[in-house]
Amino acid sequence: MRYPKTIVTILCLGILCTGWIQMGNYFRPTPIRFQVPKGWPQPLYNFKENPLTKEGIELGRQLFYDTRLSKDGSISCGTCHQQFGAFNTYDHNLSHGFNNSLTTRNAPGLFNLAWQKEFMWDGGINHLDLQPLAPITAENEMAESLAHVIQKLEKEKEYRKLFKAAFGDEAINTQRMTKALSQFLLTLVSSNSKYDRVKMGLDTFILPEKLGYEIFQKKCVSCHTEPFFTDFSYRNIGIPVDPFLKDLGRMKITGESKDSLKFRVPSLRNVMRTFPYGHDGRFFSVLSVMEHYRKNMVLSPTTDSLLKSRLSLSNFEIGQLTAFLYTLTDSSFLSNPAFAAPGKGISTTAPVDIHNN
Amino acid sequence: MMVSAQKKQVLTIWFENRFGKERLIPEQTFYLNGTDTLVINRFKYYVSHIQLTNTAGKTIVPENQYYLIDIADEKSTSVQITVPEGSYTGIQFLLGVDSSRNVSGVQTGALDPLNGMFWTWNSGYIMAKMEGTASSSMIAGKQFTYHIGGFRQHQQTARNIRLQTTPFHTSVTIVADAEKWLEGISIAKEPVCHSPGTLAVRIADNYSKMFSISVKE
Repeated sequence: MRYPKTIVTILCLGILCTGWIQMGNYFRPTPIRFQVPKGWPQPLYNFKENPLTKEGIELGRQLFYDTRLSKDGSISCGTCHQQFGAFNTYDHNLSHGFNNSLTTRNAPGLFNLAWQKEFMWDGGINHLDLQPLAPITAENEMAESLAHVIQKLEKEKEYRKLFKAAFGDEAINTQRMTKALSQFLLTLVSSNSKYDRVKMGLDTFILPEKLGYEIFQKKCVSCHTEPFFTDFSYRNIGIPVDPFLKDLGRMKITGESKDSLKFRVPSLRNVMRTFPYGHDGRFFSVLSVMEHYRKNMVLSPTTDSLLKSRLSLSNFEIGQLTAFLYTLTDSSFLSNPAFAAPGKGISTTAPVDIHNN
Repeated sequence: MMVSAQKKQVLTIWFENRFGKERLIPEQTFYLNGTDTLVINRFKYYVSHIQLTNTAGKTIVPENQYYLIDIADEKSTSVQITVPEGSYTGIQFLLGVDSSRNVSGVQTGALDPLNGMFWTWNSGYIMAKMEGTASSSMIAGKQFTYHIGGFRQHQQTARNIRLQTTPFHTSVTIVADAEKWLEGISIAKEPVCHSPGTLAVRIADNYSKMFSISVKE
């Protein structure tokens, strides 16, 4: 025999592997490739540190819709982030928290988070995995302690099974919980609106939409930059401070007066579904936002340089812009059963993804 | 293998927390400047990036670990590290958590956010925390709460600590004096620090001077 050593080695390895698998150490979750929509930049989220798997995403979805994450078991992430509102709190300026409390800011829609570097209206949170810790522990949101959440999850046999499927063993800790939540949240990609279909040559704008898009590119696009319809910057758009909330926005994080009243530019994707608008939800319609820009802005030293003389908009332009904004509604995103609470989707068939067929 | 394995030993670093000359015990009363009566309920701080200098002047860099020293948890007040066998005269460490761990998502172990040393609304670690009551405090419950954090430029509150002493081998004691936190701080005027900024930096400068070292072998 020419290779006796090799053969013996292979045999030994084979026996070892069999033993390892039989001991229950075999762990191979199903990897999921993150689909970057055609023409979009690479995501900022570091998938190497938290590779997407079918099991991880499923665990994240269970956690997202689990009210046990709150102190009295009444609120889940999904309570204030509703799929039909592109994961905002539909029709609410502020959201309802523990024990009849209210939040101090409008819950934004959740989508395309893989491209977002900082979170919250003031950008105070520097990593997607850290984001859930804020609403879970805030007294006016879910009001629960992390230690208690972990204890509650550890008690559930079902969760121990799900954590094992996602991470290889039954250990439950903050890092695994938040990584699983991130995995689910990262799958919330909204890129199948009419606008996207038009961009790919699969559809055409009707005249008001086309005119609206042209106006948009002249007057809105420098902050609401395509393809995300935000440049993720912080700007003061002349919303005067609420005397009760006294929210100074970005300044709370940086401590610098130049950041007074600056808030993150929100994405306009699904904008017709994410009302009310503004960091504290004070605008209940797109029309009142337009009125704000052309008439009601309160100018101050930190008002954005692009808005120093407000924004001139004619009634005609507002009409056309509104027609265009409707094209940013991604109905396949709003009804995708993969994003709904387990077993509660309004549709059972996965929608067609124009970027992946 | 040509590399001969150098003999290893375990070094125990004891953190002895005090208020002035007295041992810092939760709920016990201390006097500050002869006028203020103080009770400290919580006193916690992170220690990481421990390095040692041996008698030959060589720096030893053990694998980095993060430790949360907490007066409420006796176990946490001694730290064991494996080092090459030898005699040491210097120890240095970072009081706090390095910037990179402040921007890398959710960590585990001592750095797990559930330890209450993490700001969820403005991402970053609380490097050190002192809470209690003081007769001079003018806020509800006569409290004072100093949560000291901040890792960005001009807000940095992690501090490099370097201590020198006579040679030690398997054990060394580092004394942390909580009274040093309050030098030049008026509890009456500044009873609360809950965000990065100038007050946090001032207190960090104070706590950078709270450590001393002693050898009892």
